[in-house]
Amino acid sequence: MEVVDLDFRYENGYKVFQDINLKAEKGKFVAIVGPSGVGKSTLLRLLGAFLKPEKGQVLLHGKPVLRPTPLISMVHQSIVTFPWMTAEENVALSVKTRNLPKDRVKEISSHALEMVGLQGFNDLYPKEMSGGMRQRVAVARSLAAEPKILLMDEPFAHLDELTAEGLRQDIYNILFNEDSPLETVIMVSHNLTEVIELSDTVFILNGSPATIVAKVDIDIPRPRSPRDPAFDQMLDRLYSYLTKKEVKKQ
Amino acid sequence: MIPGAGVLLATSSPGTINGIPFLTITLAVLATSIRVLALILLSIISGWLLAYGAIKSKIFENVFISLIEIFESVPVITFFPVVLIIFVNRIGGELGVELAADFLVFTAVVWNIWMGEYQAFKTVPNEMVEVANNYDYGFLDRMSMIYIPFSIPRIAANLFPSVSDGFFYITVSEVFSIGLTTYATFGIGTEISALLAESNYYGILTAFIIMGLVIVVIILGLRSFSERAVARYTVDTDMPIMRRGKPRIRQTARLSAVASLNTLGKLAKYNRERRPQKDPEELFSTNPRNGKGNIIIGIIALAILVYIVYSAVELIMSVSASEWGYLFSKTPYLLYGLLLDYIRVLSITAVSLVLALTLGYYFATRRRVEKFGIPIIQTISAYPVPAYFPFIFLGIYPFVDSIFGPYTEESLVLLLGFLATFYYVFYGFWMGVKAMPAEYNEIMRNLDMGFFRKMRYVILPSTFPYLIAGITSTVNSAWGGLEIGEYWPNIAGGKTLQVHAGLMKTIDLATSSGNIALAAWGSFLFAMIVAVYSIIFTRKMMDLAKKKYVAEEGIYSV
Ligand SMILES: Nc1ncnc2c1ncn2[C@@H]1O[C@H](COP(=O)(O)OP(=O)(O)OP(=O)(O)O)[C@@H](O)[C@H]1O
Ligand SMILES: [Mg+2]
Repeated sequence: MEVVDLDFRYENGYKVFQDINLKAEKGKFVAIVGPSGVGKSTLLRLLGAFLKPEKGQVLLHGKPVLRPTPLISMVHQSIVTFPWMTAEENVALSVKTRNLPKDRVKEISSHALEMVGLQGFNDLYPKEMSGGMRQRVAVARSLAAEPKILLMDEPFAHLDELTAEGLRQDIYNILFNEDSPLETVIMVSHNLTEVIELSDTVFILNGSPATIVAKVDIDIPRPRSPRDPAFDQMLDRLYSYLTKKEVKKQ
Repeated sequence: MIPGAGVLLATSSPGTINGIPFLTITLAVLATSIRVLALILLSIISGWLLAYGAIKSKIFENVFISLIEIFESVPVITFFPVVLIIFVNRIGGELGVELAADFLVFTAVVWNIWMGEYQAFKTVPNEMVEVANNYDYGFLDRMSMIYIPFSIPRIAANLFPSVSDGFFYITVSEVFSIGLTTYATFGIGTEISALLAESNYYGILTAFIIMGLVIVVIILGLRSFSERAVARYTVDTDMPIMRRGKPRIRQTARLSAVASLNTLGKLAKYNRERRPQKDPEELFSTNPRNGKGNIIIGIIALAILVYIVYSAVELIMSVSASEWGYLFSKTPYLLYGLLLDYIRVLSITAVSLVLALTLGYYFATRRRVEKFGIPIIQTISAYPVPAYFPFIFLGIYPFVDSIFGPYTEESLVLLLGFLATFYYVFYGFWMGVKAMPAEYNEIMRNLDMGFFRKMRYVILPSTFPYLIAGITSTVNSAWGGLEIGEYWPNIAGGKTLQVHAGLMKTIDLATSSGNIALAAWGSFLFAMIVAVYSIIFTRKMMDLAKKKYVAEEGIYSV
């Protein structure tokens, strides 16, 4: 997936982006970081074609993405579930778009719940689940659509640290297991530790209107530990990009 | 001839040009508008006092809320034959007629407003009440600094349906016949009937235009008022607000329920998660001022109750045995009429619902259509159907007759009912769609869902509480429409609109032939059955809606 020379402004005239260029390669976990309010959520909405750019293009396999598609699936910054559906029905909602027979839908939804560690909780309503469980349901719903690109907006932000850590450890393996058609994950976060723990590539968004001020590849071997000195070094480096006003591209 | 285009003709009454009494029409429109607006104001002010009484005294609260619930679920218009007679006979004269008209409009507008104010008072944040207790505020300070400002957004949300309801009944309330006598009070309803009797069609057209202008002005005024009210009086915080316990009732059925679930955006946050709280005012029940207030209000409530029971008993005692025999013998026929009326109401509701779903969805998803469409629909809905229906009747009668033959009048009555009610379910649904979390919209787009799938899995469930509220209002207004339409003598062109059978028709006929006992008995049967039905059905649905279908709970965040 690729973004070319993208400009965007909101209807009230506020210019959020100027000249955004980024490339998210196949098999990579990509993170977008930036200070609060810089436009990270907006950028994800542009990638998913929920918003239309003023200028420039979003390309998937070289073809422009013009409207939202199940191939590019979004996990929202707020945890979104449908309170009138059980966990399984919530997930099935995105399987149904593929027009499969009923038992196949059930099978896929159950499997998706299993992948996020919710086996046996199929019949619970969101109200009966904790925040972490609900977020897993939301992730399972996105995965069950079998997207090529997964967009995640602060997926761990509303979870307590313990739950977040657990989900973080699972998520990389869930995402890139061999029988998933998923090609690329693009995650927005302002938690740098989380970003270094998970990503292969980090884009740093800063300024107003915002641009990509740096691209950093992280090649620390997995599993990564915050106690590793290389981890710390990386943390300092990312931190400096976020605090400096103007940074040369790497 | 176009008014004001050419020659000025001098006629008998001042302000008359080309036979069109401009001055009279304008004054009549103003009289009617002032009547409606003044009664709304009266509802608001009385509602503040009653709501304050309700939060101060448990006994009063129980009586007050039970009465509102009953009156809200019964289309009060059906009592009017009887109530009007009381006003005209007991008070009599111009004053009696005027009061009868006022009473009718008042009962059309008041319930929404009272309920909204009660709910607002009941949900004033704990912290604010604590401040009031802390500084030992008196009644006036509490009202002016806390309760009244807090109730303003809720009142604003209830004003539109109330204005529509108020205007709806003007033609029937300003002019009505009992037996052979026709009573009239000054207003546009009376004026239109007079012009109609003279076949002064340009005059009527003028009346419609002037009334349309005034309604547009009122609607625009209300819109800007409610926008400002929400911006100014809505407490601006994302902190969860502690509340003074649940309102005693589950959820009122009418549009006030829509307002209380989530209207005008920001109101939403008051309705998240309500935990039963210890009532801070109760902590101070040793406070002598509160104690005395409680007792006085309790005594007043009790007195009202005793009076109501006494009048009812007196009325029943005054009916002779032979009359009871007659009434009982008529009962099966009345019930048959009620059954027919239920079928009519259901058909009207079903059609309104289908149209509301498609049109409401179309509006809510197209910003530009919505921007112009909603004010237009609000204006049209405030425009009283009974005022213009005779012209629709005249215009389409031959056409409808050629299609429906013997069912012509039946279908015209259904059309009248539809015009009177469609707005409520439409507006309810539209608000529901607007209140749906933006994320739901994105998920529907993301999953590339088709219209029916969206409706079934996301839109209908998320708008369910709003739909129920809208449908309940629709059902109630449909009864009002039938009351007017099932027997409408001399509607236009010398014709009388009437259905073959129906309870509303029987009541109307009994009233106009002076058979008050039968009219009262019919109203009573109707009230009992409809009240029981709507209390049971509506409550079930509202409970279900609140338990399961609150879309706001689907978002876990900020
Ligand atoms: N609908 C909108 N209309 C106008 N401006 C908007 C709109 N939504 C967001 N903005 C503005 O665009 C900017 C970027 O918002 P965005 O939500 O993308 O930030 P973010 O980087 O995701 O912030 P956070 O880290 O707090 O989630 C903000 O300044 C915000 O005020
Ligand atoms: Mg964001």
